[in-house]
Amino acid sequence: MLKYIWIVFKKEMKDTFRDRKTIFTSIIIPILIFPILSLALGSGASEIIEEGAKPIDIAVISENDNGLLKYLNAHQGINIINTDEPEKSLEKLEVKAIVKIDKYFDEKVNKGEFGTVEIMYDESSQKSSMAYPKLKSIINDYSKIIVSKRLKELGADNNILKVVDIKAISVAKEDGFGIIMFSMMLPMFLTIWSAVGGIPAATDLGAGEKERQTLEPLLTTKVNRISLLIGKYFTVVVAGIIATLASLTGFIIATKLKADLFGTISTLPINTILIIGLFCIGLTLTFSSLELAISFYARNFKEAQTYLTPVTIIMLIPAYLTMYLDGKAIPNAYFHIPVINVISIIKEALVSIYNPVHIGVVLIWVIIYISIALMVTVKMFNKETVIFRN
Amino acid sequence: MIEVLNLGKKFKEVEAVKGISFNVSKGEVFGLLGENGAGKTTTLRLLATILKPTFGTAGLNGYDIIKDPERARGQIGILFGGETGLYDRLTARENIEYFGLLNGMDKREIRKRIEFLTEKLGMGEYIDRRVGKFSKGMKQKVAIARSIVHDPDIMLFDEPTSGLDVTAINIVHEFILDLKQQGKTIIFSSHSMKEVEKLCDTVGIIHKGKMIEISSLTLLMQKYNNMDLEDIFIKLVGDSNA
Repeated sequence: MLKYIWIVFKKEMKDTFRDRKTIFTSIIIPILIFPILSLALGSGASEIIEEGAKPIDIAVISENDNGLLKYLNAHQGINIINTDEPEKSLEKLEVKAIVKIDKYFDEKVNKGEFGTVEIMYDESSQKSSMAYPKLKSIINDYSKIIVSKRLKELGADNNILKVVDIKAISVAKEDGFGIIMFSMMLPMFLTIWSAVGGIPAATDLGAGEKERQTLEPLLTTKVNRISLLIGKYFTVVVAGIIATLASLTGFIIATKLKADLFGTISTLPINTILIIGLFCIGLTLTFSSLELAISFYARNFKEAQTYLTPVTIIMLIPAYLTMYLDGKAIPNAYFHIPVINVISIIKEALVSIYNPVHIGVVLIWVIIYISIALMVTVKMFNKETVIFRN
Repeated sequence: MIEVLNLGKKFKEVEAVKGISFNVSKGEVFGLLGENGAGKTTTLRLLATILKPTFGTAGLNGYDIIKDPERARGQIGILFGGETGLYDRLTARENIEYFGLLNGMDKREIRKRIEFLTEKLGMGEYIDRRVGKFSKGMKQKVAIARSIVHDPDIMLFDEPTSGLDVTAINIVHEFILDLKQQGKTIIFSSHSMKEVEKLCDTVGIIHKGKMIEISSLTLLMQKYNNMDLEDIFIKLVGDSNA
């Protein structure tokens, strides 16, 4: 039996990795996706940073000359645009905000009353929303100048307004934030790729075989179906592991390109690497089997792709749900929920928690998942109504 | 030697094969003649152990298809019509070798056999090229070589010429006649009367899953006053429907 499993596995590996489509989806895309994402997000972020550095274009509605208007005119962070229809200009984003200064602003301020200023901005526009706090801060600075003047007139010091002096000191190491990002991103993408990495190979080895009409001749050979199935299954598993390693490579490249988005790679202890590797392979073993079963059920390639797409979406749910999960405080129930339990173990390992009870429980669950998935797949492959569905 | 005994197959409510029985001796070509959907492919799939019979059984060189399906499969080679079912990304040699290995041959044996078949079928120019861009005729030759790489005693042909052009049809016909000369036991399913007349010794007419006539071609002609096989077929099918 082993001999035939090896023959099938060797042939399927050769056939699978001669397929440009599989190479593209299982190796090239996983390697490129994170670096491309980092460049795209990076360029988007730098545009926002550039916008933030420029003076804010505003329109001012003021019936008379006043101190605030003079202050805004002189401020380097402000560029006043003359427009007849300021509201329309705001709609078109020719100005990012409108400052409406009360007719009696100076008079009120001089009397020691409130001077009224309205800031109109467009909350639905990112640029306008960003301009608002900056503008508010500039006007507040003007307010502080007036307050300071008033205090001086009263013979008081500016510090009278300060009660608490807050000093913020971070105890994190230099790359503390990077490590947080890393421990958030790594479990998420590792579990996703471990689960879905084998999909291209599974599609080809099940539904693809049906579509090419190669399955029937294969079933007429001396080999029993279990050997054929296991040979194919291990091909899907290896393709899944290769895709996961490819995405890990892409992720490492992305962290070098944009550490603030993807985190900083920290050197992981060998125990952590072993635990992550073991449970990721466990996920691949489970999902490869299910993907192969679905692929055999499908009549053709297209149908298999339609059925397998939801697997990716289903995987995204637990991955995102646990993205902000703190590895040091994982509720016990999480170790019993499929997929989430594997992510939880990885999160714990990343913070160097190696709880034997947690590891044992999740390992038992993973073995149960693999057994159920394999039983379903064997049943599918032996069912005439599945193999001859078309 | 093929012995089919009350073989039947039900797919839910549909009875595709209704308890058919026939024998095919060594060196004989048995033509399984019937309309589309008559039960020809199901019968061949049952004999190839791809499908499990609902009742009845069959023996292939003495190996029971239910009790010993793996050995029974080892006795047969099968050639399908329509798509040849080859792996496009593998070379012709790799395609044939894979099926040799799956039929229990060792690499040395396979190499020798491929050399022989390459020579016999004239595949020398393309044996090490990937199959993807082959013409239908080239593919058919590779499929033929694949089906006999393990030199089986029994050959099953499921409408092997459907969708082929004249040249490719001729390749298949010559191949069957050659196997007959080698003393192989052959079942050839077709809906073409002319093919059956040309290649078969015995004919079994299958209609709606039932075997309505089994006879040698010569006796069949005598029985129906030398009528054309096509006319005999129409008469038998008409009588069966009545």
